[in-house]
Amino acid sequence: MGVALVMMGGGLLAGAFGSLLGLGGGVLIVPLLTLGLGLPLREAVGVSLVCVIMTSSAAASVYLERNVANLRLGMTLELFTASGALIGGMVAFVLDQHVVAGLFAALLIYTSVSMLRRGRAAPADAADVGDPADPGFTALLAGPGYGVHHLRLASGLSVFAGIISALLGVGGGIVKVPVMHLVMGVPLRAATATSNMMIGVTAAAGAIVYLFRGGIDPFVAGPTAVGVFVGATVGSRVAHRVDVHVLRWLFVLVLLYTAVQMARQALGLA
Amino acid sequence: MTFEARIGRLLTIGTYAGAAALAVGVVAMLAAGISPLEATFPTFDLLGLPAQLLALEPRGFLWLGLVVIVATPVMRVVASLVGYIGRRERAMAVVGTGVLAVIGVGVGIGAFLGIVRG
Repeated sequence: MGVALVMMGGGLLAGAFGSLLGLGGGVLIVPLLTLGLGLPLREAVGVSLVCVIMTSSAAASVYLERNVANLRLGMTLELFTASGALIGGMVAFVLDQHVVAGLFAALLIYTSVSMLRRGRAAPADAADVGDPADPGFTALLAGPGYGVHHLRLASGLSVFAGIISALLGVGGGIVKVPVMHLVMGVPLRAATATSNMMIGVTAAAGAIVYLFRGGIDPFVAGPTAVGVFVGATVGSRVAHRVDVHVLRWLFVLVLLYTAVQMARQALGLA
Repeated sequence: MTFEARIGRLLTIGTYAGAAALAVGVVAMLAAGISPLEATFPTFDLLGLPAQLLALEPRGFLWLGLVVIVATPVMRVVASLVGYIGRRERAMAVVGTGVLAVIGVGVGIGAFLGIVRG
């Protein structure tokens, strides 16, 4: 029972952190299960994908009801993120675990730097050029008060986000949000909400491959996902009362420490 | 209620239903004295799921919860597709069909590789 409670507690923290900081929580769940509980990396990634879908669906329901998430834009980019997730899901089963650990360490460092720089970067001024390939369709993806640009480039980058998601068990929001905000010119709030919505389909495409290939342990996924659900629900309700600046610094420190541990595992030192 | 709000409601129902099934499974798992870190864990068997649920096996409720959670975003795409078809938004209907096709390929590949793996 003790191990199950640790998983629920870890899931709760990951869900709460994720909802407070706009992440799926995968960057915490994978290290918890591998470094903390000794699970093989591939199993941890499968469990994490399920947890990421849960936080995505819970958050997206609110964003859709408040009309913040852009459903048309999200579905269009999902074509590419889901395709990438299929590729990532298949590659994950043939890639050496040390390589995956190394990639995860790199992702954690990138996430840390992105979180510290968040809010400083301004979106690219696309001067309303639209997408030269199909201006009619691009116009269809516009949200309230903004248009979208560079759809082709964003589609290519979305494939990359999908591969990262399925390979490392994360939502991929750390790639999707900058792509929509900086490349397509979508306001940050709408980009974050739309990314949250997309994460569900991206992770589902990867999770399906893991599920059928026997890569998801229900006895680990159950307690962890229940913890994530409770944490994400509580986190979203107290978000407006929490000083996110302090939380962000704390989170970055945790990520950097985890990155070092993952790097050690990649090098065979742990 | 707007189209987007209805889709959002669907996600809420799916998330709560999946979490409820998982919670039942976790309680049953703990009551049965199953350790989450057992050396071998059961693999997913879609056809065997009804029998596991009827037998009130912990893994049955856990698999049900996991399937509902994974299926919830897919159902969101299906509901959006139906909505776009009803509103005669041809371009978005094509996009929605494309997303479902990619997910369908994933199911096919996963099922095939699962069979190969044995």
